[in-house]
Amino acid sequence: MGALGHFLERQGIPTASISLVREHTETIRPPRALWVTFELGRPLGIPDDPDFQRRVLRATAELLERTDGPLIADYPEEIAEEADFTGWACPINLAPQATDTLAAEIDRLATWHDQSVARTGRTTIGVSGLDMPAAGALLSTALTGNLPPAQALKEAIDDLRAYYLEAASAFPDPGTAKKRKAWLWDETLFGKALLDLQPRLAASADPQHRILGNLTLIPATERHRLAKS
Amino acid sequence: MVKRLSEMPEVEAHHLRRIECPTLDDTPALPGKPLAQRRVALISTAGLHRRGDRPFRPGDGSYRVIPAETPARDLVMSHISVNFDRTGFQQDHNVAFPIDRLRELVEEGVIGSMASMHYSFMGAFPPDAAEPHAQHLAGLLKQDAVDAALLVPV
Repeated sequence: MGALGHFLERQGIPTASISLVREHTETIRPPRALWVTFELGRPLGIPDDPDFQRRVLRATAELLERTDGPLIADYPEEIAEEADFTGWACPINLAPQATDTLAAEIDRLATWHDQSVARTGRTTIGVSGLDMPAAGALLSTALTGNLPPAQALKEAIDDLRAYYLEAASAFPDPGTAKKRKAWLWDETLFGKALLDLQPRLAASADPQHRILGNLTLIPATERHRLAKS
Repeated sequence: MVKRLSEMPEVEAHHLRRIECPTLDDTPALPGKPLAQRRVALISTAGLHRRGDRPFRPGDGSYRVIPAETPARDLVMSHISVNFDRTGFQQDHNVAFPIDRLRELVEEGVIGSMASMHYSFMGAFPPDAAEPHAQHLAGLLKQDAVDAALLVPV
């Protein structure tokens, strides 16, 4: 991110950046940065809190009037971790079963995903161009037959990831985002499929498969599961 | 809440420490008009684009155009990294791409006006791959009379 500040400012466009990782910004030294202590992926802080987001954006924009860069300003507001409800349970049994399939799991979540779309008016699915049964079929093919091209597989998997998490957000007691992400890895056949897929990708002769397997399939926080699976 | 890397869970801090950051000569911070007279563009590095636009790929230093009037339901994210939260964006696009907040700051008179086009790169780019695209983009921003860019990471 910070590199863009250099590139654009050198071409005559004044810039101000939000910084999520202060150590990175201290190295890159863009002209102006506002350091925030929010979770990666949430640079404006809190979803559905326009006042909070507007304060962050305004503080960023106000840095534009300073010419004493490179500068890093500390944003004063912090966010407490989302309250974690105990006893969170899925409304339906999504636990992996020998008789169940990924296709059945995807189908079972459709009604919950519909609820999510009805409530938010949008979905972030749609990178791969596939519908969810087809995305699931591509993942199943990758597990049992020849590996599809890495880019197509990555796009299908990212759409499925969005589908699962959006669907779970519409459960009667959706819990925190952290809980829902744990659910994806702990309790779904989709999570298990990704863990099963990783060694196949890592062992592929295709370097794009290896990038996917080693870097862009399993989050760093979940890689400890690979040894177990 | 994320603080310094030293205060983060080690597995996440380790991942972030491994990301190579470029060291560039300092770039002077340019003077400009008061904020209330500036025309501002948003530039995200979240790998955002309209559904149907080309998804980002590993090593991709190019950008996608997001017209100001793009409905939220048309926005998708194809950032290659899996090491950041996406549920916030799924719930509210403004938490990663604050286009509605920018519009409000213009309505309040804090910012002069907003650009007609906004942009997204995909942050996992090698700087060498992005620089020519950024240089090209700077020319387009000037054509749109933009005199400031707010850079929003993910």
